Amino acid sequence: MATLNEKKTCSERMADFRRFVWNPETKLFLGRSLINWVWISLYYVAFYVVMSGVFALSIYCLMRTINPYEPDYQDQLKSPGVTIRPDVYGSRGLQIYYNVSDNKTWEGLVTTLHTFLTAYTPAAQHLNINCTNNTYFIQETFDGPNKTKLSCKFTSDMLQNCSGITDPTFGYPEGKPCFIIKMNRIIKFYPGRGIAPRVNCTYVGEESRPLEVDYYPVNGTFNLHYFPYYGKKAQPSYSNPLVAVKFLNITKNVELKIVCKIIGAGITFDNVYDPYEGKVEFKLKIED
Amino acid sequence: MKVGCHASSSIHAPRPRQFGDKMSAVCCCAHCDFLSLGMQDDHRLSTSELEKKYGTSIDKGLSSARAAEILARDGPNALTPPKATPEIVKFLKQMIGGFSILLWIGAAFSWISFGIQLAQGVDSAFDNLYLGVVLALVVILTGIFAYYQEAKSTNIMASFSKMIPQQALVLRDAEKKELPADQLVVGDIVEIKGGDRIPADIRLIFTQGCKVDNSSLTGESEPQSRSCDFTHENPLETRNIAFYSTTCVEGTATGIVINTGDRTIIGRIASLASGVGNEKTPIAIEIEHFVYLVAGVAISIGVLFFIISVSMRYKILDSIIFLIGIIVANVPEGLLATVTVSLSLTAKRMAKKNCLVKNLEAVETLGSTSIICSDKTGTLTQNRMTVAHLWFDNQIYSADTSEDQTTQSFDQSSPSWAALSKIVTLCNRAEFRPGQENLPIMKRVVVGDASETALLKFSEVILGDVMNIRAQNKKVAEIPFNSTNKFQLSIHETDDPHDKRFLLVMKGAPERILERCSTIMINGKEEPLDSEKAEAFQTRGKMLNARAPWGRANPDVLSSFCHLYLPENEFPETFQFDTDSMNFPTSNLCFVGLLSMIDPPRSTVPDAVSKCRSAGIKVIMVTGDHPITAKAIAKSVGIISATSETVEDIAKRLNIPVEQVNRREATAAVVNGMELKEMSAEQLDEILREHAEIVFARTSPQQKLIIVEGCQRQGAVVAVTGDGVNDSPALKKADIGIAMGIAGSDAAKNAADMVLLDDNFASIVTGVEEGRLIFDNLKKTIAYTLTKNIAELCPFLIYIIASIPMPIGTITILFIDLGTDIIPSVALAYEKAESDIMNRRPRNKRRDRLVNEQLAVYSYLQIGIMQSVGAFVTYFTVYAEQGFLPSTLLGVRVDWESNAINDFEDSYGQQWTKYQRTYLQWTGYTAFFVSITIQQVADLIIRKTRRNSIFRQGLFRNKVIWVGIFSQIGIALILTYGLGHVTALNFTPLRFQYWFVAVPFAILIWVYDEIRKLLIRRYPGSWWDKNMYY
Repeated sequence: MATLNEKKTCSERMADFRRFVWNPETKLFLGRSLINWVWISLYYVAFYVVMSGVFALSIYCLMRTINPYEPDYQDQLKSPGVTIRPDVYGSRGLQIYYNVSDNKTWEGLVTTLHTFLTAYTPAAQHLNINCTNNTYFIQETFDGPNKTKLSCKFTSDMLQNCSGITDPTFGYPEGKPCFIIKMNRIIKFYPGRGIAPRVNCTYVGEESRPLEVDYYPVNGTFNLHYFPYYGKKAQPSYSNPLVAVKFLNITKNVELKIVCKIIGAGITFDNVYDPYEGKVEFKLKIED
Repeated sequence: MKVGCHASSSIHAPRPRQFGDKMSAVCCCAHCDFLSLGMQDDHRLSTSELEKKYGTSIDKGLSSARAAEILARDGPNALTPPKATPEIVKFLKQMIGGFSILLWIGAAFSWISFGIQLAQGVDSAFDNLYLGVVLALVVILTGIFAYYQEAKSTNIMASFSKMIPQQALVLRDAEKKELPADQLVVGDIVEIKGGDRIPADIRLIFTQGCKVDNSSLTGESEPQSRSCDFTHENPLETRNIAFYSTTCVEGTATGIVINTGDRTIIGRIASLASGVGNEKTPIAIEIEHFVYLVAGVAISIGVLFFIISVSMRYKILDSIIFLIGIIVANVPEGLLATVTVSLSLTAKRMAKKNCLVKNLEAVETLGSTSIICSDKTGTLTQNRMTVAHLWFDNQIYSADTSEDQTTQSFDQSSPSWAALSKIVTLCNRAEFRPGQENLPIMKRVVVGDASETALLKFSEVILGDVMNIRAQNKKVAEIPFNSTNKFQLSIHETDDPHDKRFLLVMKGAPERILERCSTIMINGKEEPLDSEKAEAFQTRGKMLNARAPWGRANPDVLSSFCHLYLPENEFPETFQFDTDSMNFPTSNLCFVGLLSMIDPPRSTVPDAVSKCRSAGIKVIMVTGDHPITAKAIAKSVGIISATSETVEDIAKRLNIPVEQVNRREATAAVVNGMELKEMSAEQLDEILREHAEIVFARTSPQQKLIIVEGCQRQGAVVAVTGDGVNDSPALKKADIGIAMGIAGSDAAKNAADMVLLDDNFASIVTGVEEGRLIFDNLKKTIAYTLTKNIAELCPFLIYIIASIPMPIGTITILFIDLGTDIIPSVALAYEKAESDIMNRRPRNKRRDRLVNEQLAVYSYLQIGIMQSVGAFVTYFTVYAEQGFLPSTLLGVRVDWESNAINDFEDSYGQQWTKYQRTYLQWTGYTAFFVSITIQQVADLIIRKTRRNSIFRQGLFRNKVIWVGIFSQIGIALILTYGLGHVTALNFTPLRFQYWFVAVPFAILIWVYDEIRKLLIRRYPGSWWDKNMYY
């Protein structure tokens, strides 16, 4: 079979490459004459300008079809996610460890809560209205200013003992820490089918073991008048309702696994892939 | 024991052969001595000395026990096949060849990052482990596949060479036994008869009319007689040795086996030939070039973006993961497998057309062939003598010489023809082998020499049942042909019961017959053969010669026939004819007619040669025949076209000496082997350069090697045909060696890259056509495959630069490369040629690359970019409709991928957990995947042609393309909806409308490519043509 000897030494290859980059005889730069390079560059500039135009046009058309108030589909948002504050993530999820006698270990946690609650000061909430009905706050029309819808007020004082007002340390030094549970916003989501969803915290895997918890507001419910959410454009000043939990009988120096679920029709917490759907699980260890 | 030696009878005058000369040709003379030295003195020894030497007995043979002993010592009587590469080495080569090394690097990086992440306790560490495993699996599986393909094509060849186990008739334990030939040992007494292949090197001790065809050894097809006489010092030239793998043409012989297996002459030559090393085929070089190109792009983009991502303050680990993605996106994992499949499909197609390809890559080599050096006998011609012209009644008649003649159409009403046909039938010793009544006449096996065979078949075709006619005209006496009287004579009773006369019939060389004739038969009447008639005969004879000019070189293929009815009174029924004293007249006979015989060209050859010519392939004839014969055949098949002249022709026409002719005017050249011997390499180069039509005559196989080397010096891709053992060095040296399947020796088949099952030159041309087609189609396949690599790469680049959520996953890319894209890219191998590829010049292996700049640039920077745009539009559509508008996506990567953020806000203020985002990201992967698939359908359709409009090529002519399209979409549907719930694969059941987002871009690709092709056709040679035609 063929004996095609294309073996070249390294220096020959280098020389070939130099010749390819600039060939002084044919005046070719990288295999093309300079004028040829100009032409080909012009062609590609034109080509890419046109392609960018096509892309921009496509995105423009896409944006024209998009409803600014609510997304077309909520395929992934069937049930809301749940988050907790303070949130410290370790390598295996939420891990809240602190030592009551060591200020430094819990000051950060307290600061997190204070920072989080700044959005719930009366000043921050002044655009929102006071709601008293314990039913869904359905608004077909834009009653708010600038073609918006109204949002209900939620202020931190509703969290009573966990508001940070009466106890700026949220009970951390006493070993009775407060946690704030928040449910993710989903547009036009009606949780609980008319019954206010509530937070329920237990030990993981040991539901029968008593966990003494104080819930704020009472019963740990999210009042229905905060729902449904109409989206950022309709309710620019909307803020999520919160539930604070205060654990009262935490055994010291033991890592405890606690889960806080939101109980209510339409909220699922059994998705094996999503640990934060309808519930939040965390490890708590208080040392002294 | 009686040792009889008969001279064989034939109307052929055996031409003296320079056997030693031929032998030296094989092995460039240094080896000559080796060959001769290796031979024993067995040819000198007497029978009894031989018996003593080999411990055997001529009457009893060896004992079985002794034979078994020797067999154990010497091994079986078979040629050791050339040493094969160990299977494991072949397998490992597949594992590290091509892109595999890049993918191994990718896998190694994956495992490294897995290790690091595991140590850091990162949740997603195992993703990298799996990715590494998947990459390794991809390499191993494609490696196994390529290995399997190669093994399969090797097996075809292996099965072919083991077709029929040869048998030999051996005398052992005083009994004659049929044994497999590989059981023969030195000292065995074997019997051979006409038609047998000689089973080993044999010293003959008894012969009867034995002739052997040494063509497999010397390339000389003329049968040579064998006897038990010691005729030459050189064992290679003496007549009392018959060589392994040659054939006994006629007669019988008994002999002692003196060499077996690799120690035979053939075995030694074969081991010499296997010394010539194999190097890369043109297509292997092309694929290597392409692999370098792609690997170069992959590595440079990978390194560039590694640097970019590091300088953009990404973590080193992340940068490594990006690097893996870029490598995987850039490497067309399935392509090499596709190329192998395409080549083997073509190999299968070629096998159907009688070209058996041993080495897959040879498929394409044949397509780039620019010079074919062809044998004459058997390849260009039918390799059998056939009656071509007749002369009787002062008239020339032409006979049908085609391969499948069943009747002859010339005027057979004349009584002269009746007389002539009778002589032709009776004065002939050739016979059909029994038991072939159902075969077509032309296919039957005949015992007898070539010209007698021709005459027998000729008369069988016209008269039917020759054997019956002979039986009715009982032969009473016969003088066989010998070189002194140069005629053959027999005396028969007539088939007319009332005619008690004997009929004397004679055939022989025209001048000898003519001098014995006094009358000539015209229209059935005897007329005196006066000088005027003799003159007419001479001119007629010349005319016949002119029509069949090869006859001039081989006068023996012109046979004259005459007869004489012996008077009843002088030769009564009881007369005893004595052939020694010749008690009957052999002169004053009646001349009846003249027949000329040729080895006619195969009917398909002239067409094939003209096809080669229009395809820019130079056909050079290399033959051992006489220059005049060679030139005549060359003219009749078109190797020398009707209008072109050689230097000698011009000299003759202008009536000037040969030296004064301007050599440049002569387009053709007939070079004699003797002249070639004297030539320097430069002179040979000049001849090969200056003349378009060349015939090498009277050449030895070694000169064939010189010619091949000369052609290769011109930069040509040379195909060489050959059948003899002596051809194997030339076959090896050639870019593509083509062995003859029927006439070829095993050594030639071993050395060749391709075996021509029907020995027909025309099959080479179909092979060339297939080879060219596959080159074109591989271009299309590669262009198709490379395009989507950009659409797979862009997501990574944009992801790194714009920090958007990852548009496509590494696993998803593998599903495109090894899933949806495989069948469509193979389907392109079935594409028909766009225009007549046989009207094109052969590709220049230095300039016309498989993957050229235009192909890469057009696929990467134009169609690939269009595909990317289409896929990104789908991506943005999916995200926007689920809540993330394009503006929100820019720069979100870190938060998006953070496990610690489970209330990630979208453009509408909704909040997403990590898993919800990841699921959306997978939906994005699926959408991106689906858009690439949809646009690859368009890409597949545009790749059907490179120049013509799709509408001209026809959308439905290649049905396999549609199989490809349906498979592509089918696989995508299964992945999306069938496996959409298997989270490890990262597919999700996509909303149906997202399948159509990329359709406008698919149409845009099609329209753009049609415009490109239109402009190429409209403005050939323009800037556009130069830059856009790949």
